Amino acid sequence: MVTVAFSEMWSHKRRLAGSMIAVVLGVAFLAGTLLLGDTLKANFDKLFTTANGGTDVILRGSTQIGSDINQSRSGIDASLLGLARSTPGIADAVPYVQGFGQLVGSNGKRIGGNGPPTTAANWVGVPSLNPYRIVAGRAPRADNEVVINRGAAKKGKLHLGGTTTLLTPRPLRVTIVGISTFGTADGFGPSTFTAMTLHAATTYVTDDPSKVTEILIKAAPGVSAQRLIGELQPRLPTGVQAITGTDLANENISDINSGFLGFLRSALTGFAVIALLVAVFSIYNTFSILAAQRARTSALLRAIGATRRQVITVGLTEALAVGVFGSVAGWAAGIGIAAGLKGVFSGFGFALPAGGLVFRGSSAAIAVLAGITATLVAGVVPALRSSRVPPVAALRDQAAERRTVSVFRAAVGAAMTAGGVTALVLAAVRPGPVSLAAAGAVLALVGMVVFGPIAARPAVALLGAPIARTRGVTGTLARENSMRNPRRTAATAAALLIGVAVVAMFTVVAASLKASAAHGVDRALTADIVVDTPGFGGGVSSQRGRLDPAIGARLSTVDGVQVATGLDGGDALIGGKAHAVTVADPARVGQVLDLGVTSGALAAMTPASLAVSADAAKSNHWHVGSMAPIIYPDGAHGTVTVAAIYSHPDITGDYLLTAAGWARHTEQAVVSKILVKLRPGTDVAAAKDAITAATSSYGAPRVQDRAEYRSSATSSVNTFLGLIYVMLALAIVIALMGISNTLSLSIHERTRELGLLRAVGQTRAQARAMVRWESVLVAVFGTVGGVGLGALLGWSFVKAAGSTTLSVFSAPPAQLAAFVVVGAVAGTLAGVRPARRAARLSVLRAISAE
Amino acid sequence: MTTTITRAAARAVHATKSYGQAETAVLALDDVSVDLPEGQFTAIMGPSGSGKSTLLHCLAGLDALTSGQVFVGDVDLGRLTDRQLTLLRRTRIGFVFQSFNLVPTLSALENIQLPLTLAGTKPDRNWLEAVVETVGLTDRLQHRPSELSGGQQQRVAVARALVSKPAIIFADEPTGNLDSRSGADVLGFLQQACRELGQTIVMVTHDPGAASYADTAVFLADGRIVDAVERPNPELVLDHIKRLGA
Repeated sequence: MVTVAFSEMWSHKRRLAGSMIAVVLGVAFLAGTLLLGDTLKANFDKLFTTANGGTDVILRGSTQIGSDINQSRSGIDASLLGLARSTPGIADAVPYVQGFGQLVGSNGKRIGGNGPPTTAANWVGVPSLNPYRIVAGRAPRADNEVVINRGAAKKGKLHLGGTTTLLTPRPLRVTIVGISTFGTADGFGPSTFTAMTLHAATTYVTDDPSKVTEILIKAAPGVSAQRLIGELQPRLPTGVQAITGTDLANENISDINSGFLGFLRSALTGFAVIALLVAVFSIYNTFSILAAQRARTSALLRAIGATRRQVITVGLTEALAVGVFGSVAGWAAGIGIAAGLKGVFSGFGFALPAGGLVFRGSSAAIAVLAGITATLVAGVVPALRSSRVPPVAALRDQAAERRTVSVFRAAVGAAMTAGGVTALVLAAVRPGPVSLAAAGAVLALVGMVVFGPIAARPAVALLGAPIARTRGVTGTLARENSMRNPRRTAATAAALLIGVAVVAMFTVVAASLKASAAHGVDRALTADIVVDTPGFGGGVSSQRGRLDPAIGARLSTVDGVQVATGLDGGDALIGGKAHAVTVADPARVGQVLDLGVTSGALAAMTPASLAVSADAAKSNHWHVGSMAPIIYPDGAHGTVTVAAIYSHPDITGDYLLTAAGWARHTEQAVVSKILVKLRPGTDVAAAKDAITAATSSYGAPRVQDRAEYRSSATSSVNTFLGLIYVMLALAIVIALMGISNTLSLSIHERTRELGLLRAVGQTRAQARAMVRWESVLVAVFGTVGGVGLGALLGWSFVKAAGSTTLSVFSAPPAQLAAFVVVGAVAGTLAGVRPARRAARLSVLRAISAE
Repeated sequence: MTTTITRAAARAVHATKSYGQAETAVLALDDVSVDLPEGQFTAIMGPSGSGKSTLLHCLAGLDALTSGQVFVGDVDLGRLTDRQLTLLRRTRIGFVFQSFNLVPTLSALENIQLPLTLAGTKPDRNWLEAVVETVGLTDRLQHRPSELSGGQQQRVAVARALVSKPAIIFADEPTGNLDSRSGADVLGFLQQACRELGQTIVMVTHDPGAASYADTAVFLADGRIVDAVERPNPELVLDHIKRLGA
């Protein structure tokens, strides 16, 4: 029977190639994302192990607020160094002071800042406690001397002996006296590292010279890190902990895995699964058609004594072979995809530390097994169906594929679609919870796939009506051809529907994010000019920028400036939960922001006050005068009193603290952005120029007027959307290839009919046009369904989320309509190959074909 | 007795068609010259492998000769491009095949009008009505081929061949897939089209009964024309076939 299967496959090799390519592409994407994830993980592991490998024990503050890699951790007393050095078993202990420090390149622009940290610290002279090595020059001796890592030097075109500015964030003129490498690499991934003297570090990167970030300890020979911890721990004051270098590396590794890397990997895998799902539809379709075309062979096998099981074996062997070959080839292609993905990310401005691909057997096994399983799943139903062909069909002229749809299927499909849509609408109207919307989304999608064949006939009839009317008999034939087998049309279109639905959903969510950000800027920002640094993970309420607070004072002296005040932010535990907080000067913030205060007053805020959004007040059951416990980033405990409740949290987020209260608990004074209100009647453009000039020595921060700020606030959404489009492109390509493949197979089936048409006078051009229009119809059917479903999903998710960043729903009609147009054009392209095949048919061969 | 000079609707001149290369070549047509007179119903007969289908395909411009010429009217088919051949088929030639003769997605009426709509021309209403009436399917015009019997389908095919008023209709075993009653029905209809509408028809068949509906039967064997019979009847045809076999 297996022999039969292989001879069948051999005779259908061209037709199988189409489904094979779908497997290859689907698996390639999955393998590529897994490979990229493995590589990133291995590189991060290596980076963190190198960073902490030589250090046996680290002393550090025990308070940690926030969970990401940029977490803030309190500093420790410098005096602990004496204690550490006097502990038995310690060979060496050095202080380490680390903070924000961004270099300015030779072009006057800041280096880095797009995610990976920009760090300044003291140069540690003990090589085993310092992962950096000086490869040129020497260690810093004076306060204005620095060693920079080779990666930063390359990026900023900085040279040994040259001078530049270091922003801590106060601008410092520094001379580069050394170039360092991280181990043997250019740097800690794409991050930058500037090392200075201990005195300079305690002077510039921390505001409290009595504190250090960490104390790095080297154990004496023969003393284990664990034993040292045992010695140290009882002597340490509260708020200070000892941790081994290995544990710290593992902690960092697990932080990045659960944070950035984990998110990236699951997002990539999510897109890969979508691509594979789309591929399954394509494969299923090809196998169905092959099973139908093979019905006579199957019937013949049955007539001469093959059992049903044997006929199923033929079908499944074929699926298995396609799955194995396609998956292995796909895994190999995944190497290219991984490299491509890395390129895509850097193209969108996200630098990933992914040098040298890391292959893991388990990932390869996952990708290949997923591909084989997907192919087998897609092959089961067609194999079962072909085994049900009665032997007598061999004697009939043509064993027809079942084209009708069962009432049961119609009922199930309709019920699932209705249930899904109801859940989506409920989640949107009430609003929330998002899980209801997610369940509705899955149900609606499955329902639409089940119901597709029933909808296909009327839908294609409707969509095809204008083509039939304007394109004469060619159009009529195209329309009729796509209606003649609704199961096939629906299955072909379903692949595209899934891909397009996801695209449309992200488009709607992105448009809503942009509209919400714009709305937020419009209602909450009254400042005329915003000074900030372009950076990673935008959003108007993000306070990630690092600017010198002195800029505010400097700008107050610029002509036309009425008030210039900075916003900062960080994480604090308020009422027992970690929250992102914004920090502002309560006396001035009212002049640059319209917070929509509903009760209390910002002006009444003291360093022990808190202002909260109406949402936060509601969820915490707070009102003006309520008190809440707070833990600051330095570990200090306190109590804050709610002084004001506001309704426009768009720029400040839900929690607002005073700058005076916050400054006591941070080590480095920074502001994330500076908001400038001009005097009435001042020329904004002129003022902007003056401000740009006044801030240029501070590393040339970005200076924007309201309109510019509004559009840049939404542009980070565009970046993410672009990235998502690229991720989904492969799924769409697989779906389009599915259309092409299905059409090619259908044409093979209709050889005689095509020959007849040509014999009675259809020109080659007309034959081509007929096939192309059929392709367009199927593509548009899938696209329209996908856009409709995607818009509904997007609406439901936006409404269900109901957060500040998604306060406004927006569905861009032009963009959604453009998808349909693009779908039609893509359909034309998908139809090119089958159309050419149809036109190339020899009339004589076609009409004399069996 | 008067002699009527009939022009040839189509003719083959020293038509030779071979398949394969040099020594393994098979001669399907071996120097065939034949005139197919206008307004006549001609049957081409012969055992399988005699080259009768090849002759039909070459006359209809579906296949090219190895040497020699074929004319439809005055047009030398060998000089036409693929597109010109398609257009010639559309305007001057009608086809009736053995099976799968209709486009399954179009109604009977749409199938009949297909050559005209492909050409983008309007049907001559009177002629269309006349044809439809002759076919006798007036009440089934909106039906799809799958809803028609085999005989009805083949009559629709004949009507489609007639509707563009072609110079010549080629029918390739038009009754091969039909039961004898439906076959007789279709043949009678072809004969009627020839006698009443003056339509030139060339039919390939191996059924002596079918050939008896024609005005002339031409016999082919091994790629050559070996015999011709005027006003054939089944007995006469069988007689000739026996002689050929002997």
